[in-house]
Amino acid sequence: MNRTYLIVKYLFLLAWSTFVVFPFLWALSTSFKDANAVTSGARYIPWLEFEPSTQGWKSLFTSGSQGINIVTPFLNSATVTLTASAISLVLGTLAAYGLSRYQFRAGFVKNSDITFFFISQRIMPPIVLAIPFFLMLREIGALDTILGLVIVYIALLLPIAVWVMIDFFGSIPKELDEMAMIDGCTPAGAFLRVILPNSLAGLVVAGMFCLIFGWNDFFFAFTLTFTKTQLLPVAIVSLNSSVTPWWSLSAFALISVTPLALVAILVERFMSRGSLSGAIR
Amino acid sequence: MARIVLRGLGHSYRNAPQCETDYALKPVDLTWEDGKAYALLGPSGCGKTTMLNIISGLVTPSEGRLLFDGRDMTGASTAERNIAQVFQFPVIYTTKTVRQNLAFPLECRNWPSAKIAERVDRIARLLDLSDILGAPARRLSADQKQLVSLGRGLVRDDVSAVLLDEPLTVIDPQMKFALRRKLREINRATGITMILVTHDQSEAMSFADEVVVMKDGQVQQSGPPEHLFARPQNEFVGYFIGSPPLNILAAEPGNNRLNCPALGLSVGLPRGVGTSVLSFGVRPEHIHLVDVAGTAPGARVEAVENLGVERVFTLRAATGETIKVKSRRHKGLSAGTDIGLSVKLGDLLVFGNGRLLGDGEAYLPSEDVG
Amino acid sequence: MLTLENLSTADAKRPLAGLNASFEAGRIYTILGRTGAGKTELLRTLIGLDPIRSGAIRLDGADLLHRPVRARQMAMVYQQFINYPHLNALQNVIFPLRRQNVDKATAVARAREALALVGLSDFETRMPSELSGGQQQRVALARAIVKNARILLMDEPLANLDYKLREQLREEFPRLLHKNVDGVILYTTTEPGEAMQLGDEMVVMHDGKIIAHGDPGDLFDNPPNVEVAQLISDPPISVCDGRIFGGMACFTDGSPARLAGGGLHDGTAVRIGIRPDALAIGGDIAARVTLAEFSGSDTILHLQLPFGQAAMLLDGIHEFQPGHGLDVALDAQSLLLFSQEGANITGRIG
Repeated sequence: MNRTYLIVKYLFLLAWSTFVVFPFLWALSTSFKDANAVTSGARYIPWLEFEPSTQGWKSLFTSGSQGINIVTPFLNSATVTLTASAISLVLGTLAAYGLSRYQFRAGFVKNSDITFFFISQRIMPPIVLAIPFFLMLREIGALDTILGLVIVYIALLLPIAVWVMIDFFGSIPKELDEMAMIDGCTPAGAFLRVILPNSLAGLVVAGMFCLIFGWNDFFFAFTLTFTKTQLLPVAIVSLNSSVTPWWSLSAFALISVTPLALVAILVERFMSRGSLSGAIR
Repeated sequence: MARIVLRGLGHSYRNAPQCETDYALKPVDLTWEDGKAYALLGPSGCGKTTMLNIISGLVTPSEGRLLFDGRDMTGASTAERNIAQVFQFPVIYTTKTVRQNLAFPLECRNWPSAKIAERVDRIARLLDLSDILGAPARRLSADQKQLVSLGRGLVRDDVSAVLLDEPLTVIDPQMKFALRRKLREINRATGITMILVTHDQSEAMSFADEVVVMKDGQVQQSGPPEHLFARPQNEFVGYFIGSPPLNILAAEPGNNRLNCPALGLSVGLPRGVGTSVLSFGVRPEHIHLVDVAGTAPGARVEAVENLGVERVFTLRAATGETIKVKSRRHKGLSAGTDIGLSVKLGDLLVFGNGRLLGDGEAYLPSEDVG
Repeated sequence: MLTLENLSTADAKRPLAGLNASFEAGRIYTILGRTGAGKTELLRTLIGLDPIRSGAIRLDGADLLHRPVRARQMAMVYQQFINYPHLNALQNVIFPLRRQNVDKATAVARAREALALVGLSDFETRMPSELSGGQQQRVALARAIVKNARILLMDEPLANLDYKLREQLREEFPRLLHKNVDGVILYTTTEPGEAMQLGDEMVVMHDGKIIAHGDPGDLFDNPPNVEVAQLISDPPISVCDGRIFGGMACFTDGSPARLAGGGLHDGTAVRIGIRPDALAIGGDIAARVTLAEFSGSDTILHLQLPFGQAAMLLDGIHEFQPGHGLDVALDAQSLLLFSQEGANITGRIG
């Protein structure tokens, strides 16, 4: 009974892992194929089923008609995502702290309404925002620029940061801030010296969300840029013309997934060491 | 209802316990009679919660067996055991009324509604909740909420025991007194076994027919409260039961007797104790303050703590030892006064290596016996 | 000296209603009251965390109300063990000193000293999460003491600790506080014994008001009203209904309480408080035991008397089954007489 249970459990886990990892394996194997290997039926194992070629990987780093330049979109994506995430995190944390510790009131608008206003920005379908954003950016001449994208991404990421951090600050006892003020801190001092050092776990989670959403966004990157400023997701999709270079596409996809995967692994290591989870009891 | 027997029951959170310290609960034999009130008493981390969790079925013991009325329940699920539990913080359905709260466990068992109503009314009468049956549960005071939590356990007619996990912690002292009394009355009225887990010795003493004192995963002593108070098996029980704790005083062998210089008493030298370290123990309540004029050994009052009904006197004996005395008399006695001490031989306990050997009367000095 | 002048609040869960009191430096004031009596609200108002509606708070005559929290020179120990989780024990105690611009070397030395006072010298580098509850509360106390605050507020600091630890700290606190704190010490508790034991003076609160203030022993012997009488005694005082008859107080069954009637007219309804040590075995009052409880050396008997219910404290351990009949006597010296409104009007005869 116990044995059967174990076998079933591991079979299920194995099947599920395969299902999850399969697309990556497929992309990895495809990135080493040439045109011939891609079009002549399903093949997976290099050397045995097809002769590996590095053509896909090479093409990413050659410019001109033969190659696809990945470096520029990669740097663009990195700049936009990191800048927007950092600014959202700072503004969002400050806003969330204010909302979790002080009561605001403007007419019938209270704290919960302000919080909902932030979150509603994510509930709204992006398509609704696309046209206003487009018009606004055109007005200030920021269409198809890094700056324009950063501004739009801050608007997208700020609600996430506020949302996660309000929840997190709610779990830190209010007495901790009060104690800091009794001990001689100004309200800002209490936040910087006591609350912030105890918020690492929340900041990491909020930062992760910002990075993921920023890095993966396709819709706004697509509607608000033309040719000058291309981000990674758009660059990948633009490969998909009449003849799709599957080998380049796969290599491209793998490279664009790597930064997030690395961040995830680092954070996971960090969390499991207990340096974050044990901070607040 | 059931008689609960713990046979060689022990638990270690490690896979292969090597030594004594690996056990969260060292193997123990205990029998809990049906219908009585018990208390598990000890400091935090003493293993009382582990024992409670084993009985309720949240933890499967690594050793020994747990029997309910002779039936082996060691591996049985929580549901099969029919145990009602009340936790430190009241667990109630805040959206329901008191009546709906009490009826809920029966509704889950598909009882007919007439039978539910009758049963709920009976339990509400028992708990003094009849007047507020229609009130929303969230409006109740902390002690009433605790009663509702208990009531939800009691409405079932197949409860084998009620486990109370520090249920009085969040209750004010004045209300605590009444709630403790209520629990006791319910135990008497229903005949359901109750097991109270607590770190508060006064709570344990006043609630239970029998108290189990635990420390470091080991049962130190188990018995009626008055017995634990009068005859603590070791110095820890003497310390843990009673407030202020048992006075421990130096014992000096000499003249074929064992002398207690601080109290001016001597008893016969216990035999067969070899090189044991001997000491005396005496309860602060058992020391009587007398006029210094007599032959009684003297001490100086160093501090008086007025607790209202009682006073605690801190005395410095002629030997330099500190002695605590608790009394309801001597209201005028103030610090700096000299006073005499008197203790009955039967109240003087003799300890060898921290374990109780007997009281002063068991070791009467040979001359006196003659 | 800390003075409250007609202090009232509006926003809190339990609004404070016109508090007047003055507290002197170097003394421990225990504030006794039930949960929700307004004890915590008072401390929070003093420290500036809750707004007030009217009245004044003065420290040596100087207005405190318009100072921000950080400038009120107060220290607080919370019921929950509040320490800075990201700092170790020593850093926790250094924190307030550094905010007062004490230089680093001095701050470290003073923090070490404070930790030594509370017996935590060996735990300087432990994080709060690695300390037991009692140790965490000691760190909080060290942090409060080290500041040399003018006012030290302690909000039920022992409520979440084990009984034996509580017993030990209750004994340590007075010595520790008197020796190391020059300021006013306010200490709230729900336990009458703790309030009696620790307080140089006692303040009793009920429903957001101060209903008594004085020497703990005096308040116990002569409670000004029925609320104080019930709050201050453990086991509690039993209160029975009575009536004035022939200038004397009588119970509802007509039996005399041997108390002067306080000048009230015959027939006036009164309440008679029976202290747990007022009853003794052997007398002419027929009683029935409803429950017997042990408290180690004593037995508390809950009795049904002809005129009501009362608890009786009995020396030694006595086993009584519920329903057992008993004859008891009342000691008039341990009875209290209250008017229907609750004021203490006890007048002893002879």
